[in-house]
Amino acid sequence: MVSLRIYIATRALLTIPTIIILLTIVFAIMRILPGDPVTAIVGMKAPPEQIQELKKELGLIDEFGKPIPLYIQYLNYFSGIIKGDFGKSLIWGKRPVIIEILEHFPATIELSIMGFIVSLLIGLISGVYSAHKYSSWMDSTIRIYGIISYALFIPWIGMLFQMFFGVQLKILPVAGRIDPGMEPQQITGLFLLDSIITSNWPSFISSLKHLILPSITLGIVLSGIFTRLTRGAMLEVLSQDFIIAAKARGLPNRKILLHALKNAFIPILTMMGLQFALLLTGAILTETTFSWPGIGTFLMERINYRDYTTVQGTVVFFAIIISLVSLIVDLIYAYIDPRIRY
Amino acid sequence: MRKNNKKAITTTMAVALVVALVVGLALGYLVSMLMAPAVPGVTTTVTAPGMVSTITSTATVVSTLEKTLTSVKTVTTGAPVVERLIIGVTDKVTDIDPSNAYDFFTWEVLSNTMEGLMRYVPGTTELEYGIARSHTIEKNGLVYIFKLKPGLRFADGTPATAEDVVRSIKRVMEIKGDPAWLVTDFVENVEALDSETVKFTLSTPVSYFLALLATPPYFPVHPAYKPKEIDSDQTAGGLGPYRIVKWTRDVELVLEANPYYYGGAPKIKQIIVRFFKDATSMRLELEAGRIDVAWRTLLPTDIKDLKTKPNLKTVECPGGFIRYIVINTRIKPFDNKLVRQALAAALNRKAICERVFLGLTEPLYSMIPIGMWSHIDAFKEKYGEHNIELAKNLLKQAGYSETNKLKIELWYTPTHYGDTEADVALLVKEAWEETGMIEVDIKSAEWTTYVDQSRKGIMGISLFGWYPDYIDPDDYTTAFVNASWLGYAYANAELSKILKEASVLPTVEERTPLYEKAQEIWAEDAAIIPMFQGKLVLVSKPNVEGIFLDPTMLLRYWLFFFSG
Repeated sequence: MVSLRIYIATRALLTIPTIIILLTIVFAIMRILPGDPVTAIVGMKAPPEQIQELKKELGLIDEFGKPIPLYIQYLNYFSGIIKGDFGKSLIWGKRPVIIEILEHFPATIELSIMGFIVSLLIGLISGVYSAHKYSSWMDSTIRIYGIISYALFIPWIGMLFQMFFGVQLKILPVAGRIDPGMEPQQITGLFLLDSIITSNWPSFISSLKHLILPSITLGIVLSGIFTRLTRGAMLEVLSQDFIIAAKARGLPNRKILLHALKNAFIPILTMMGLQFALLLTGAILTETTFSWPGIGTFLMERINYRDYTTVQGTVVFFAIIISLVSLIVDLIYAYIDPRIRY
Repeated sequence: MRKNNKKAITTTMAVALVVALVVGLALGYLVSMLMAPAVPGVTTTVTAPGMVSTITSTATVVSTLEKTLTSVKTVTTGAPVVERLIIGVTDKVTDIDPSNAYDFFTWEVLSNTMEGLMRYVPGTTELEYGIARSHTIEKNGLVYIFKLKPGLRFADGTPATAEDVVRSIKRVMEIKGDPAWLVTDFVENVEALDSETVKFTLSTPVSYFLALLATPPYFPVHPAYKPKEIDSDQTAGGLGPYRIVKWTRDVELVLEANPYYYGGAPKIKQIIVRFFKDATSMRLELEAGRIDVAWRTLLPTDIKDLKTKPNLKTVECPGGFIRYIVINTRIKPFDNKLVRQALAAALNRKAICERVFLGLTEPLYSMIPIGMWSHIDAFKEKYGEHNIELAKNLLKQAGYSETNKLKIELWYTPTHYGDTEADVALLVKEAWEETGMIEVDIKSAEWTTYVDQSRKGIMGISLFGWYPDYIDPDDYTTAFVNASWLGYAYANAELSKILKEASVLPTVEERTPLYEKAQEIWAEDAAIIPMFQGKLVLVSKPNVEGIFLDPTMLLRYWLFFFSG
């Protein structure tokens, strides 16, 4: 137990330099990129006073118009983030970046969770079934599915679903998060949860219908890796002595598979953590395809508008979230598997 | 074990084949459904009544105006009242505050929720009174005095007076947001003489001041707007036909008929604008029948495809957006007029419009866009279209030949004008190199670097585009001559004098010959060569009527109605 605590402490402390390195990389990249962000924002017709004003806002020059040294800019940036200040957007009302992020993040979380559930369900069920029916035509089909789904391009598969279920059958919406005017009262920002809390069932149905195609698209693309991993881990476990012994005792197949799955779960759990980063990347593409108003589309849009502080803030936010998720996964992993210690 | 492996491989291959076949068939089916040609004999592209048919050609504004007015009358009679219309866009609303909004879609929203002293007659570039009922011009165009329509009220019932007009314009002057120059460059003072009278004193007389008054920085805003700072998310609005009842940024904007609008309630009580992240989703939602109108901006390929759908109608009209080539006359060999003229003559505008934009842009032979008064095809008259022989002659006169080629760098930016920009540059190169006497090296730079290079005047030839600030030939001409943002690429004393003179003369009749002369000089100098003009395209359900597109690029929601 002591060693677990040491592991937790060490792992948590290691997250700090990881985040610092990430922040530094983001800071450096934003300044190495060619082109002057000020020109990009104010446009071609801007008078010199407006350019100076914006430079001040960006923290590039001081009140007297003198350039602020890079290391001071870095320290200002760093101390701001520690205080939870991600800066202010350079466009549209110059709102605090953190508020903008928090407005868009629930939509991404909702999509990611649903996508993740779909991918896990497909991956686990198909992987276990494939291992159970080893070397059959079903096994072959699932293995091919594992390869194809991993290689699928989200906008392509998304558009196929949109065309079939949205345009041809007209049973599911192809874009957006909810029907116009149906938003539930905002509590968590997760529409499904909010509509349940407020017992707003028409909103629940509408948001669920909007969630089906994007989450299935995201789920399918991410499920391949789970299918392959589950199948491999299950085959390994199913060939071990304790399973043979269980079979010899006449235990039903269902129980044996469940027992084997528990033992095969550690590598799957690791992959679940690693998939989270991929999930966010996938969510960006899914959001764009389905006009989902999440953090991914928000980031892409702000890149287009060259809203540098927002882009920087959002990337930092992503980096912190991924570092924290990776920390949590490592801790769970260590808790489940006693061999994992420093 | 080996036998098992062999069996597994055989099974895998068989299943793979079946899966490939099934996927292929499914894909083929879906693609064929999507690309299905229109039913023979069905008219698939319908234009709005009395609008596009006149505007798409370069017919006179007068005939357009007459037809438009007829259509407007039709709109207001006998159409059934329908509760809701949904418009899809891929644009964004930036600041719902006229003091800082400076993009066309936000201006469109403002034009539907607010109104200025002047406004454009839908479907034309002609001006008419908005919230004003009369005006007088004094002191040789230095003073404008407007009388307001009586009984004006904001959407919540608050009375609107001349003081509100003055407060709003002074607010724009004080905030100094992006479009503030549209006021501060022209207006010295604005004051309320009484509750219905507004007086403007200009710093210098400009004949297009009425056009400036139709732009959002001059719109009166509700007193709820923060007086000294940009109020980006303020939805209190102004004196327009609609009011904002709900706005979720990047998701939806809900407008409802303003019960206090002086012009009476619009036919459609509620307008919902849905914001899409990409054009494909918008197109699919239109096909699925979940939006009534797909507005800016559908992809050219999608438009071409949607035109073939019998259950949709397409409306087109030239927009105010133009593209052009800037040749820096301060850099050798472009200081030689013959070189510039040769480049203008060899250019193949039609190829760009057809091959890159699938016919969704129009070749442009003047900086003043098609459909605007005073427009003449100056470059076409002087050089023709893709006139290789003339280009060769001019190059020979300039001292170039097949063995001594003119070597030039052509700059474009891949990060500002869309994915098509590289193709545009390629076709420009192709046309010029067809002379056999020019060698073009294409170079690109990211937008910020590109603008920086333009300011510094270090690009010999570069591609640019222009959205109008106000609908007047002045905005398409004066801004380019001796311009710092172009690195002073083009200057001509005679042209500047003509443009200055034209900006002061009071009537269109007096100004027109001057702008015509300016366009001729422009073509002669060939320092900034117009390429093409963007088209506005809207696709809707067939029962949506009252669609008016014009070079102002603003859609008037209050004119929509459903037929049948």
